Amino acid sequence: MSSPLGSLLASGQPPRRAGVIAALFAVALSTLIVYPLAQVAPVASLSVVYLPAVLVLSVTWGAWLGIGTAILSAAAFNFFHLPPVGRFTLHNSSNWVALAAFVVVASLASSVAEVTRARTRDAEERRREADLAAEMARLLLRGDDLAEALPTAASRLAHTLELSSASIEMEAVEADERSVAFPLREGTRRLGTLLVGAGTSEANLRRLQERVVPALEALLSAALERETLLGGVVETAALRRADTVKTALLRAVSHDLRSPLTAISAAGEAVGSPSLLPEERAEMASVIQEETRRLARLVDNLLDLSRLEAGAAEPHREWTAVEELIRAAVEEVGAPSGAFALSIDPDMPLVSVDPVQLERAFVNVLENAQRHSGGHPVSIRARAVRQLSAARAPAGAGGAGRQEGSRPTGDRVIVRIVDRGPGIPPAQLERVFEPFYRAGTPGGGHRGSGLGLAIARGFTEANAGWLHVESLPGQGATFVFELPLGDPAA
Amino acid sequence: MSVHDSTESQRAPRVLVVDDEPQIVRALKVLLREAGFEAVPAETVSEALDLAAVRPPEAAIVDLVLPDGDGIELTRSLRAWSAMPILVLSAVGEEEQKVRALEAGADDYITKPFGARELIARLNAALRRAARGEDEPRIEADGLEIDLAARVVRRDGQPVHLTPIEFDLLRTLARNRGRLMTHRKLLAEVWGAEYVDDVQTLRTHIARLRAKIEPEGPAGAAGGHRLIVTDPGVGYRFAE
Repeated sequence: MSSPLGSLLASGQPPRRAGVIAALFAVALSTLIVYPLAQVAPVASLSVVYLPAVLVLSVTWGAWLGIGTAILSAAAFNFFHLPPVGRFTLHNSSNWVALAAFVVVASLASSVAEVTRARTRDAEERRREADLAAEMARLLLRGDDLAEALPTAASRLAHTLELSSASIEMEAVEADERSVAFPLREGTRRLGTLLVGAGTSEANLRRLQERVVPALEALLSAALERETLLGGVVETAALRRADTVKTALLRAVSHDLRSPLTAISAAGEAVGSPSLLPEERAEMASVIQEETRRLARLVDNLLDLSRLEAGAAEPHREWTAVEELIRAAVEEVGAPSGAFALSIDPDMPLVSVDPVQLERAFVNVLENAQRHSGGHPVSIRARAVRQLSAARAPAGAGGAGRQEGSRPTGDRVIVRIVDRGPGIPPAQLERVFEPFYRAGTPGGGHRGSGLGLAIARGFTEANAGWLHVESLPGQGATFVFELPLGDPAA
Repeated sequence: MSVHDSTESQRAPRVLVVDDEPQIVRALKVLLREAGFEAVPAETVSEALDLAAVRPPEAAIVDLVLPDGDGIELTRSLRAWSAMPILVLSAVGEEEQKVRALEAGADDYITKPFGARELIARLNAALRRAARGEDEPRIEADGLEIDLAARVVRRDGQPVHLTPIEFDLLRTLARNRGRLMTHRKLLAEVWGAEYVDDVQTLRTHIARLRAKIEPEGPAGAAGGHRLIVTDPGVGYRFAE
């Protein structure tokens, strides 16, 4: 089929009135063409001149207009060309036969063209539906969020089927006066509803019901299945992560509890050695004391961590002097004098925190700083920051209504703990607060349990504070506590 | 001072102690000296390799977890040039690493926390084994006689019939008396490298072998076997 005819066939049916005008025009034109041809050929054989017009009209406007054109052509041929010209009667009976044959052939041709036209239109419709189904499958099955993909899919559907509106709902929706509802089901399970505008034609409604709805049902069912499976995958991944944490916990506990136990047990046996020198006896005693303290600290840390993870670390707030907390923490760490250099502003305001939790947080950060400081003193600086009155946040807003883990914005106390150790690579800055994370400590030395910083951050945040670390590799690390002033509970 | 210094002309055997826990090392130093050894402490893999290269020790005690690597690597590096006994220190939960250390060439492992007596006993056993070598033509243990050259086994003087594979298994275990042989090591030596994961086969043959050679009467501690001792999840060891 040639392309102009193809495009004629493919397009929908043009208005009927235009068809009638075209038929009249085509018949008139054919009649005119017969005049010169009649000079060179027998007139009776020239009825074929009308056939192209009949074919084109039936292909474009359907068989009825084709047949009408055929009859009109026969009448015009008879009237203008077959003798006696100017009348509808005929002299010669053979001319009747020719005329009748023309009408029959033209009508048949019209019908055949009509069938072809219908088939082409059908094929075109199917092609569009297939395109639509593929597009919907892409939208519904590949997206991350089914609910987000539905409006796009519905608008594609409306566009392709030339509907005034369409929407796909994931629930049972009743039709109202402005819409027609198609329930979408899988077996007996209701998946959702397809709503289309109330002005949709009967033919389109039938087409929706027969061909679009079943495809949509299958797609939606697959999409829902996929979402469920994806949810399962996410859940599995979360469980696996939790499992990894538990395994890390077991390993850490196993190793960290056993090391001090081993030292204590070995030192205990060594004390019984007959060849023990007096200074060795003192050394073994200090091993036992130090390792016992380490063991106790580890048990404390584990309890703190499990309390934090269980959300059971409710702070018991008291008005507390930050300076006292810091000095108590330094003492608790039990470092030789000179290990910490304190610089605390005079007249520091009190903060409303749980002193036990905050002291634990300071102890853990101080121990960590000392461990990584390579023997250099660790400096501790504390000061209060007050906003200008214009910029001041509403009273107490530093704590109340703020999300945990975010930085206080109002009046606050800032404590900076600065070590001169190797620093922390940028990629590990946040990881140091993860439980069981241990930064590599080149040159060895006493390693921590990998719990201290996680606990410090947990307790600080439970008290509406904020703890983070700043560091440039090779230039030491600075842990910064920020505690809101005012009463967060107010 | 120590007994060894005054009575023996030869120096105390040197034991490389690789652990980054200074407290454990301090205590081990006293305990080893008491047992007649000289402890050479090292905190890291690189320090241990340096010390071992400068003055090769007679044995090494290696912690599995070290700051700049692990005991497995260190074992492999030491094993590359030395046949000295290597004991690894491990904790429960480090089973996999323990097996890997044994496969890397460690002779035995001790679980933390350990008793000093056990550590010294294992160390002495490993040293004896190293001194003895693997050239004994005849091995006797608990009424069992194994003539390796003639491939003959006798239980209380009566010949015991073993299949070739059972004999090979017994020979491999007996020639490494007291040494913990991992499943993979036994499978590789007796069956070949392609069978290293076939632990079930090994179990079956061990059971048959035990039925033929283990002495009658009360079993060892906790109902275990006296000649071929199981180390659950790790391997087997032939009684010292």
